[in-house]
Amino acid sequence: MSKIKLTVVQPFQTKIKGDFDHIIIPGVDGDFGIDSGHTPFITKIRPGNLKLYLGRNIEKYAIHDGFVTVENDQVTIVCEIMERDNEINAKRAQESKERAEKRLKSSSEEIDFRRAEIALKKALVRLGIVKN
Amino acid sequence: MANIKEIKMRIESVKNTRQITNAMRMVAAAKLRKAQENIIKARPYADHINNMLRMIKLKNKATDHPILTNVEGKGKSAFIIVTSDRGLCGSFNSQIIRKALKHIEQHPDADLICIGKKSYDYFRKHSTNVTEKYINLFNEMDFSVSSDVAEKILELYLDQNYKKIDILYNEFKSAIQQDIIVKQLLPVKPIEMEDVTNLDFLYEPDEDTIIEEIGRKHIKVEIWRIMLESSAAEQGARMTAMDSATDNATDLIGELTLRYNRVRQASITTEIIEIASGAEALQ
Repeated sequence: MSKIKLTVVQPFQTKIKGDFDHIIIPGVDGDFGIDSGHTPFITKIRPGNLKLYLGRNIEKYAIHDGFVTVENDQVTIVCEIMERDNEINAKRAQESKERAEKRLKSSSEEIDFRRAEIALKKALVRLGIVKN
Repeated sequence: MANIKEIKMRIESVKNTRQITNAMRMVAAAKLRKAQENIIKARPYADHINNMLRMIKLKNKATDHPILTNVEGKGKSAFIIVTSDRGLCGSFNSQIIRKALKHIEQHPDADLICIGKKSYDYFRKHSTNVTEKYINLFNEMDFSVSSDVAEKILELYLDQNYKKIDILYNEFKSAIQQDIIVKQLLPVKPIEMEDVTNLDFLYEPDEDTIIEEIGRKHIKVEIWRIMLESSAAEQGARMTAMDSATDNATDLIGELTLRYNRVRQASITTEIIEIASGAEALQ
């Protein structure tokens, strides 16, 4: 099976550049897998787990936003924030989850709910990937 | 005739100043290198977003999303001026302010958005149109900072129904040269590039969402790039300014030392003459 080329670019670095057998990406309309020969495709990414398969090896990342384009076996992910499972600090994620939940529950008007919600989602994604 | 002690003190103080300017030059050089590295690192990301934008614009020329296209019957325009937060960087800020004033003459009713303390300090005194300011950002600048600025600018653009937003900033050419650039930030004009593969893409969830998101990302990376360019240019200008300040201090020290020696010699000569004439008087 031919491989897919993956490039992940961030504003301050090129995070991943390599060949993989199979990629699972969390799209806004659901997770989807990409194999060689996928149709040209653009979608938005929702917070979730990005999984890269190469042989028996699986690399897992928490990804929070961005886009993916697929063309001619070249997959490019444009994102601002992503972390590999071993880069995540579980304790910090747990703390920020609790903080966000507390903020969402309180009824004060000064709280930016959208921000708290995003923070909560991020924390949940991070925790999810650490636990699996 | 100047006092020996006075000259000596003057030499000491100039030496101190030289030490400071020299240190500032070195600090500026280090910061310049950092900013340049960041510019290079941001390039693949910016290129890819630009590619996507161009592809989308080619495909459906009729997009009427406000981020991408001029919508008819809109009101005012806005103008972003990027300067540094700190001084001692030669003519870096004064040049850009001069250029901004020219632009303001042509569009007297444009709203001003100041990035950098120097532009805010100037325009709050000389203009009533300052609507927004972002100051003291350059010292600890990373992507999240510039991304906040970009989001606020986008919000402002959509809220105020601006016709367009222009941005004025210094672009880094080399340590001794900065170019002042005026360009349109919003609505987005993708940079022309060589032919991109124009495949028929599937969009999920739909084109409009994707277009809006890519537009937003583009503005973010554009602001990031502009702030990095401006910061690199600022450090370059400061490096040059401090370099010449150090040179001037060295020249001044040379001159003062010469004068010091001359005065010292003169006073010794006077003393010898006094002693000699005193001895002669005794005979």
